[in-house]
Amino acid sequence: MSKRTIAVELATPGLDPQGRPARIPLEAGVGALERYGEPDAGEHMLINIGPQHPATHGVLRLVVELDGETVVRVIPHVGYLHSGFEKLGEYRHYNQIIPLTDRTDYLSPMANNVGFALAAEQLMGIEITPRCTVLRVIACEMSRIISHMVWLGTTSIDLGAFTPFLWAFQERERIYNLQEMWTGARLTTSVTRVGGMMADVTDDFVAGLRQFVDTYPKTLHEIDRVLTRNAVWVGRTQGVGVMTAQEAVNYSLSGPMLRASGVPYDMRRDKPYLAYDSYEFDVPVGEHGDVYDRYLVRLEECHQSNRILRQALERLPDGPLNIGDPRLILPPKSRAMSDMEAMIYHFKQVMEGVKAPVGEAYVGIENPKGELGTYLVSDGTAKPVRWRIRPPSFINLAALPKMAEGHLLSDLIAINASVDIVMGEVDR
Amino acid sequence: MAIGLKVMKRPGTQVSYLRATLKGMALTFSHLWRPKVTMQYPEEKSSKDWTLSPRWRGTHRMLTDEQGRAKCVACGLCPQICPANCIKLVPGEDEHGNRYPLIYEIDEFRCVFCGYCQEVCPEEAIHVGVHYENAEYSRDRFVYDLERLCAQTHPVSTLWDPSDPKGE
Repeated sequence: MSKRTIAVELATPGLDPQGRPARIPLEAGVGALERYGEPDAGEHMLINIGPQHPATHGVLRLVVELDGETVVRVIPHVGYLHSGFEKLGEYRHYNQIIPLTDRTDYLSPMANNVGFALAAEQLMGIEITPRCTVLRVIACEMSRIISHMVWLGTTSIDLGAFTPFLWAFQERERIYNLQEMWTGARLTTSVTRVGGMMADVTDDFVAGLRQFVDTYPKTLHEIDRVLTRNAVWVGRTQGVGVMTAQEAVNYSLSGPMLRASGVPYDMRRDKPYLAYDSYEFDVPVGEHGDVYDRYLVRLEECHQSNRILRQALERLPDGPLNIGDPRLILPPKSRAMSDMEAMIYHFKQVMEGVKAPVGEAYVGIENPKGELGTYLVSDGTAKPVRWRIRPPSFINLAALPKMAEGHLLSDLIAINASVDIVMGEVDR
Repeated sequence: MAIGLKVMKRPGTQVSYLRATLKGMALTFSHLWRPKVTMQYPEEKSSKDWTLSPRWRGTHRMLTDEQGRAKCVACGLCPQICPANCIKLVPGEDEHGNRYPLIYEIDEFRCVFCGYCQEVCPEEAIHVGVHYENAEYSRDRFVYDLERLCAQTHPVSTLWDPSDPKGE
């Protein structure tokens, strides 16, 4: 375990003066140099996939060294979508950061909102209300469904199956309609506030979500019928990109990637937040750790999310949505416009922001793609000194060179798809 | 423990290529008789399954009072809260000591449509609206000045509005 050799020299791959592929010592893995040795002179070919390539799921650039059609090594180049969210957050109040969190993992915006709000609340020592807790669970599980639907759709397209893509995106549109009903935006939801939510759900939303929960498993079963035992799908995915449980832990994978390798670790189960331990659901675990198992795990997670949504709808308690502290939560609009005291609080909070005590907080939540960590450091002002995201798909992507090594080029596409990256989060 | 583990077993049997294709085709064809989910967008703007939510956060609109003046009192909350810094506000004061906006501009390019301006507005003046078709022929038309914001006619979002108590 302690024998970690990291090639220190970072270099963009290219050709040496003789026209041969230059050695690319960029892999930060275990024993990279011993495993590869010096490349064969002139025998290997370097090709460049992306950043503008549909199969890289965003602006990811993969430099692939090929021996014939076999992948010798892959170097992912990230950073094309770098937006500096973490730095921008240092100049914004806690509530102003929430629109930024929409745009990190933009396939599951609500879960990101929740992750940030939980961290800010831990920093300030706030207990949220029961209704807010349940609504946040609903937000997280809706995000999980749409994120997995996008994953399923795009991965099946990468592997040549077009139909599941359309079905998956229909379901995603239905969730987007619900998000629009709740928050007024389909993608940039900004649904949480520190200490509460932006808005309560409407009765139409609850009815719509109930209808969704009842009809959604039908689509999942259809996708299951088309893909799970399909010989083409099985042939393209089984035994491809295998990560053993030990490797998965060593690469610090999380989420479905880790569970597909047989490690039963789920933040909702092992470090419950938002009272997840009071829900009844199963954590799916794979046995082989290949692309096929990741598919099975994600498909089952959709079923389980549906179960959680059903339970959350049943228990959705009445009562206040936001905490009652006027220093943290804006007063209702009608009061702010009529009551002097409420108006003073309103102005004070907007102009000065919500102050957090000196300290730091880390909250990890189980995002669709893995453990989304939010780390906040406060110096006692209304803006964080440091906001750090632990992006699950960035860390999962780091295992791509390991997984793709020795496979065919076409399998690289399947493996890259199975990681479920979203570049907004990888590059931040 | 309520949270269980579920080991995903692989199906023991595989479907042959031919059977998988036929099965997939049969299922796909059965979808032909399902209700249509698409919409002919520029001609149809809503369907029975979907209309734009009344909470939609879209193009801005400034509400006016009975005399047609903007309700804005230039308190400065919206430029303060705006996470994208897209609101430009220069306050002025008339002969009665009432504050009003001399310049009020929203750059719709910079705007991220989070709706915070409406959330913080204590006079219910600036609103995000239930409107999304705001294409223009030139870039400078996207900086909406006060006159243009007041001239908008689309409905405003019911979020943070006393008319939608749950959205407050």
